[in-house]
Amino acid sequence: MPSDPLKPFFSVRKWRPFRFQRDCWDAYRDGKSGLLHAPTGQGKTLAVFLGPLRAALEESRPGCQVLWLTPLRALAADTLRALREPLAELAPQLAAEARTGDTPAALRARLRKRLPFTLVTTPESLSLMLTHGDFPERLSSLQAVVVDEWHELLGTKRGVQTELCLARLRRWFPGLRIWGLSATLGNLEEARQTLLGESFPGSVEIEASLGKTIHIDTVIPREIDRFPWSGHLGTRLAGQVVREIEAARTTLLFTNTRSQTELWFQELLALRPDWAGRLAMHHGSLARAEREVAERGLREGSLRCVVCTSSLDLGVDFSPVDQVIQVGSPKGVARLLQRAGRSGHQPGKPSRVLGVPTHALELVEFAAARDAAAAGRIEPRPPLRKPLDVLVQHLVTCAIGEPFEPEAMRREIQSTHAYRDLGDAEWEWALGFISTGGKALAAYPRYHKARLENGRYGVDDRRLITQHRLSIGTISSDPAVAIRLANGRALGTVEESFIAKVPIGGQLVFAGRRLQLVRLHQRVATVKPATSHAKGRVAIWGGAKMPLSTELSRALARRLNGHGPAAAEMTAVEPILAIQRRWSRLPDDAALLVEHTRSREGEHLFLFPFAGRLAHEGLASLMAFRCSRETGESIHTTHNDYGFSLTARRGLHLDERSIRLNLSADSLLDDLVECLNTAELARRQFREIARIAGLVLQPMPGRREQSQRSLQSSASLLYEVLHRYDPANLLLSQSTREIMEKQLDFSRLKTILTEIEERPIHLVETARLTPLAFPLWADQLFATHHGGDAATRLETMLRELDSAANTGATTTTA
Amino acid sequence: MTIRVLDQTFVLLPEGAVLLGDHERSLVVADVHLGKSAAFRAHGLAVPEGDDARDLARLKQLAGAHRAGRLIIAGDLFHSTAGMTPDLKRLLESFVSDLGIPVCLVEGNHDVKLGRHPVPAWPQLDASGTRIVHDPAEATPGQAHVCGHWHPVVRIAEGRRSLRMPCFLLRGATLVLPAFGGFTGGGRIPPLPGDRCFVALRERIVELPPALIRR
Repeated sequence: MPSDPLKPFFSVRKWRPFRFQRDCWDAYRDGKSGLLHAPTGQGKTLAVFLGPLRAALEESRPGCQVLWLTPLRALAADTLRALREPLAELAPQLAAEARTGDTPAALRARLRKRLPFTLVTTPESLSLMLTHGDFPERLSSLQAVVVDEWHELLGTKRGVQTELCLARLRRWFPGLRIWGLSATLGNLEEARQTLLGESFPGSVEIEASLGKTIHIDTVIPREIDRFPWSGHLGTRLAGQVVREIEAARTTLLFTNTRSQTELWFQELLALRPDWAGRLAMHHGSLARAEREVAERGLREGSLRCVVCTSSLDLGVDFSPVDQVIQVGSPKGVARLLQRAGRSGHQPGKPSRVLGVPTHALELVEFAAARDAAAAGRIEPRPPLRKPLDVLVQHLVTCAIGEPFEPEAMRREIQSTHAYRDLGDAEWEWALGFISTGGKALAAYPRYHKARLENGRYGVDDRRLITQHRLSIGTISSDPAVAIRLANGRALGTVEESFIAKVPIGGQLVFAGRRLQLVRLHQRVATVKPATSHAKGRVAIWGGAKMPLSTELSRALARRLNGHGPAAAEMTAVEPILAIQRRWSRLPDDAALLVEHTRSREGEHLFLFPFAGRLAHEGLASLMAFRCSRETGESIHTTHNDYGFSLTARRGLHLDERSIRLNLSADSLLDDLVECLNTAELARRQFREIARIAGLVLQPMPGRREQSQRSLQSSASLLYEVLHRYDPANLLLSQSTREIMEKQLDFSRLKTILTEIEERPIHLVETARLTPLAFPLWADQLFATHHGGDAATRLETMLRELDSAANTGATTTTA
Repeated sequence: MTIRVLDQTFVLLPEGAVLLGDHERSLVVADVHLGKSAAFRAHGLAVPEGDDARDLARLKQLAGAHRAGRLIIAGDLFHSTAGMTPDLKRLLESFVSDLGIPVCLVEGNHDVKLGRHPVPAWPQLDASGTRIVHDPAEATPGQAHVCGHWHPVVRIAEGRRSLRMPCFLLRGATLVLPAFGGFTGGGRIPPLPGDRCFVALRERIVELPPALIRR
């Protein structure tokens, strides 16, 4: 590239651009949009940024030319650093700034006046900017939008919000080029379509292939027979992990939940007290200052190890480390690969991830993950389809910016992938919802948000505009409670539902400290360091439990079936598999293994469909419901990623035919709705929907909460009111749909039931609990199956309490 | 279910009301919060209408079914000024005239902010030895009280889950009524030793055994 204006940047560093980078620049020059993906991050930022920069160098023009969307505002600082480096050398006159929720007011005001060459922002902040009428004018030089970490947004409501914002920008600037950066996914084609919208001819998909190899190794426990069959908190291998950390300069130790992060941090410090100060923790609930200490330490190399959760999954060019360790199940192939990519960022150097199993079968999971990675079987991320709460929020956003004409707006909305098949009824409903309350007009007198004037919808009420701006955004969470020391130092936040369970004076572990709760007042929990002799239950606070992916489950079943090359993990776990084989048989995905056994508690049935914990939870409830409908017995269920169990005093000695009947896909939906009390689940899900759709007010900063108290209502109450007076409200059916997918993995559940119909059933009577059954039995958090509405459930409980009292002290009831 | 509090008799009704043992047969409810959804709509929140008419119809039906001689609202009949629409005033006037028995309001914190309305109001009332005030904090020891204000809700332990239900809470000699309004939420009251808790189970009232209450 003789006259290439980018040349100085590379020659100073004695770098040569990668092939994929040049491909990106060329495609950009040809006016194309596209998706750049890579299993690990390296050079992706330069690949998509230098195209627009080169164009700007060749033809200078004023104003903002690149919008850079990042999913996490915490990443904005890193991104700015990466973008400013080439700018400083090649075009010192061009600036890059970030505008996120964290941006100080002074800079925000400056950005209101003049936008820089590149603006880094989040989907929420972009949405917010759409509410300012002069935004299109101030963006008039815009050439390109880059969506970083698109795989993180895909499949979420924030992703849909991004699609809608992009549709707006595309309509304003028809020549706009849109580029996405993504990790490797199983559905890249769909990911690109979702990003670019329905009609985007000539877009490209470029793989940042560096021929990089990824090694997946596993810490093999020395004494497999004493290794637990279950136990998700196992830190038994901590000693071996310490030696691995010693052998590397820097290590990222990933865990699956925030509570595991806390636990491993404590454990490592206990083993190596001299590492205090060189060991840090990073999870999403820690205060920003605490997280920044860890991030800075990683960058500067002053830390030996950071224990973290998925909060460090993101960040394309985040400081590389020498070694990545994954504690506990990898859960998914893509996830493990992405975490592995955090190590050895240098080209040519392999990325390596070291798996640390917390129970025996996780050894097989790591071997299976390696198989799936080698075969390229990576999980897809299915995009969301037309969430109406996001649509109505966006419509109000647009109406505030500039009044819109409904037909043009409808075409714009339908140009997105998410709303491509938005129907007439849905569109009419959405317009009604933002203006008059809709068809159920009589039920919404004196209500209006947007007004229809001269054929256009607009919002002119200042108060409503302020209110809406505050509620833009779609990420919702449990109300957060701040954790503070008495001196006012913030440690982070926890979910209200967690802290409510800790009594005053009780202990909890948070931010790597043992703390004692002193006071809980108005969303602030004041704590003090726990004295070493303080007694009582230590509340360890947990994170979400994600299911094993379908791809990994398949690979796991193949491994158990004896497929795949020799692996150290399989040799190590063989004694346990041998027991399973001797007492029962090994499950796989060609047949359904069902074990039946008796104990003092009665009868147990264990089924192993390998469909992931969410689908198993649904299957367990379904089967328990159908069985108890026949026998009238109360049935306890447990579930994990491999299977589920039913326990009852009697009546579980089923033959193959009854098992098939109980697992039939007939009247699946009706039975699930009945047995899972989906109404109650949907009511809970409605909280998020109500927030996004603007049915629940966000607290106004600077105003006393009191002034809005008369407008507070819980989402569950709203759910009931809508049910009673506006049952056709589409937000209600959306709530049910979302709960089916999110809580029950409904599509997967349906698929597995259909598959089971084709599979033979191996029904085995076992004399005792097998290695696979044991963890299901030992799961002490028994969920009792009580179907029906609140009254029925309460009646059952009262009856059980009665009968327990009548049979005397022989039975114990919780 | 009939309970005795000091020398007083209360009949707890599954609809969330209490019938006093006074010679007038006073029916007491609390926290109806009329006009709440209208206040929401006035602020651009799309909440449908219908609850005011339904709540008043329920009240009327209840008073008739139990041949009550007087209806007492133990505070918060209304939600806010923004919800006090002409429609609601009309609805209320016809309710009062159709009911055929006296209606008395013990003013709650929400009511005092309102201007004129068609229901006569007092800061407190006495019904043959039972005192009716809005806020349980105003109860004095040694006398039976019926109050509202707290919107009490109890959580019932059910394995990993819990069941949340509005309840009558009897603390000492003070009976706190559940909120009557259809568009009212509730708050869990941290239980104290000696508290008794009653919930509606279909057409009857049951007292919750302490073992079932989640603390």
